[in-house]
Amino acid sequence: MALASPSENEIAFAIDVALGALAIALVLLVAIAAMRHLRRWRDGRIARSENAWRNALNEATEDPHAARLPPIGRLELAAFLVLWNHFAESLKGDASERLGMLLSLNGIDHRVMQMMRRHSLRHRLIAITAAGHLREQRAWTYLENLALHGGSIESFAAARALLRIEPRRALDVLGPALSAREDWSLARIGSIFQELGPQVVTGPIVTMLLKRPKRGLNRIVKLARFGHRDRIAAIVRGWLGSSDEMEVLIAGLDYVEDDSDLPWAKGAAKHAEWRVRMAAAKALGRIGGRGELAVLLELLRDPIWWVRYHAAQALTHLHGLEPHELDTLRENARDAFAADMLSQALAERRWQPVRIA
Amino acid sequence: MKTLVLGLEWFFLLYFVLINLGYITLNLLAIPSLRRKTAIRPLEDLPPVYSGFEPPVSLLVPAYNEEATIASSVRSLLQLDYPEFEIVVINDGSKDGTLEALKQAFQLEGFPEVYWRRINAQPIRTIYHSRTHANLRVIDKVNGGKADALNVGINASRYPLFCAIDADSILQRDALRRVIEPFLDDPTAIASGGTVRIANGCTVSGGNLEKVELPRNLLAMLQIVEYLRAFLFGRMGWATVDAVLIISGAFGVFRKDAVVEAGGYKANTIGEDMELIVRLHRVLRTRGERYKIHFVPDPICWTEAPEDLSILKNQRIRWQRGLCESLHQNRDLLKAKNMGGTPGFLAYPFFMVFECYGPLIEVAGYVFMAFMFAIGQVSGAAFLAFLALAFSLGFLLSVSALMLEELSFHLYPRFSQMGALICTAIVENLGYRQLVTVWRLIGLTRWLRGAKSSWGAMKRKGSWQK
Repeated sequence: MALASPSENEIAFAIDVALGALAIALVLLVAIAAMRHLRRWRDGRIARSENAWRNALNEATEDPHAARLPPIGRLELAAFLVLWNHFAESLKGDASERLGMLLSLNGIDHRVMQMMRRHSLRHRLIAITAAGHLREQRAWTYLENLALHGGSIESFAAARALLRIEPRRALDVLGPALSAREDWSLARIGSIFQELGPQVVTGPIVTMLLKRPKRGLNRIVKLARFGHRDRIAAIVRGWLGSSDEMEVLIAGLDYVEDDSDLPWAKGAAKHAEWRVRMAAAKALGRIGGRGELAVLLELLRDPIWWVRYHAAQALTHLHGLEPHELDTLRENARDAFAADMLSQALAERRWQPVRIA
Repeated sequence: MKTLVLGLEWFFLLYFVLINLGYITLNLLAIPSLRRKTAIRPLEDLPPVYSGFEPPVSLLVPAYNEEATIASSVRSLLQLDYPEFEIVVINDGSKDGTLEALKQAFQLEGFPEVYWRRINAQPIRTIYHSRTHANLRVIDKVNGGKADALNVGINASRYPLFCAIDADSILQRDALRRVIEPFLDDPTAIASGGTVRIANGCTVSGGNLEKVELPRNLLAMLQIVEYLRAFLFGRMGWATVDAVLIISGAFGVFRKDAVVEAGGYKANTIGEDMELIVRLHRVLRTRGERYKIHFVPDPICWTEAPEDLSILKNQRIRWQRGLCESLHQNRDLLKAKNMGGTPGFLAYPFFMVFECYGPLIEVAGYVFMAFMFAIGQVSGAAFLAFLALAFSLGFLLSVSALMLEELSFHLYPRFSQMGALICTAIVENLGYRQLVTVWRLIGLTRWLRGAKSSWGAMKRKGSWQK
């Protein structure tokens, strides 16, 4: 008898686990084969139709009545709408409307409405995007509810669709969410605002800025760049004297544009937060003259690299300062960091990149 | 004595079952995330519209003796589809013509730039600006290792996010856009790692991946299955519970301030990529700050896998040493608030037991069973049952990784390709995994002995490059 021969139970346990694992692996292999087969069949079907769809979509941008769209089966609908969404994203104006008309003429708009309520997230997202491009008013209530109460991805897709359907009404509905929902990225909202244009977004932005909400003001201030600069500047510059909030001050400094703002900009150059000092340096470079030389030279000795960098940049752009004066300033600078930074700014100004043919 | 041996038998058996159960759990966790990722792809694949709010990124490319490939790598990076980025190549005192190759290819000229030394690092010699590409700078510095080179890159970088890239990595044109997405949606994001796939067998032209194919070399094929496991359910699974402990050094984006505050990369470590992530968890958990480390499963970064056994062996030894270093240097993660959250009480012990000391237990298990069989203390049936268990669980894990690939990215669409991958998954468990385990054990012992670290040199064949 062996000293420590494994018990029958131990061997049986090992064999059972091994066989169980192998059985599951085999089931997975069969599933992989089945999925692959199904995908191949579906992809083949879509590939055969895709050329016809492309042709129809191209024709529709000219005349949707003349476009010959082949019947689209249930399994093909999602793939077709993905392609349609791609076309719609890249078109504007009448061509975009004609593209939408193609769906209405072929009864696909109704199917989009049905698809929006499907269980599959993928299908819902495709349909929501399509509904936005179609400016589908019938979807408004559903999309509004989804935008205000849905999860991150779906709610944002719904918000985007609403902004395409009726931008001004959507901005009224979504205004608070646009500023407060941090899971809606500014970059994505920004791309929609860019698409809508300043004539649409300026009004709602101004309204939001005037409310000056405690939560999300920094987001609104950043989005303000998509509005008409003069209308935004009138509000934001007014905050310079009445706010200590860092984001507000930085935004305000971004909008300063004449001599009347110089006292604020000079005051901000002494702020405890380095990002405010950096914004002040940039602002002084834009609107300052010889009178601001002392402030900028002080900023050139700031402990933070970025403040020194922008102070040096500002000096090289200061009105009325000749290049040889800058060289003299550099040579006479007692602070080595300041002199080095000025050298860099001057070198950047004189740097001549080679044009590649 | 008999009780001890029986106890050991059960210990090894349970260890194998537990480690595999752990991996299967990660697999199950990864499935919903991957399915969700697949569901939102129709939105992500729409033509990108940039708003100007996308955070600009500094791409840091540490280079040491990369003369042959550095220019084409930089050219490929210059073509990335992203609104604003700069490339900072850090020549870490290369002994070959890396710097000359860069000077020639991009018309570099020395520039009087002020260097901001926020993290301690070896001194720099010269900063060069490119006359042909305004967003390219090259920093020539005294040799100090990869971590040191990255620290210099961080010091010299100008943007709030930086992306650490291996000089020999091939990035897809949309790689940066995809890996940055977590930073757009989540203000607490401090790092985001991309999936690395193997480029052997693929067609690469002008630094861009043109066609995905499987390699003919068996060693490279084995590594494809390994990478699928490591990325698709390893990292994805941990990401679902906010416990990513590794972001590959080949491609990862970080919030610069968070890294600088944590002290930058730790010089003289082998696994500087993993060490940084574990340290970020430790530091931020201790401070009680809100943060998140993301993982992007899209296959966006491609790298050449070693096709030579000795190079692969050295790579795995290095990786294991890096892993051991990273975990042991950050033991205090367990003392952080709430035991370090899921990274502390879940991922850390798992990595410590199964990844760090796992090779020791596994090799001991094999040796023990073989020895007991040889001296007649274990029957043939018991020995075979043990081997069958090890094989079948390993095979199940590989097949489940193939399943995840099928559910998500489907990069190898032909039946013949899937057949080849399944055959590889079988072959992998008949010696290769055991061999890798032995290499990892060597890595563990070298770490215990405290052997000195250096740049991980790997001879690149680049046979797939046109």
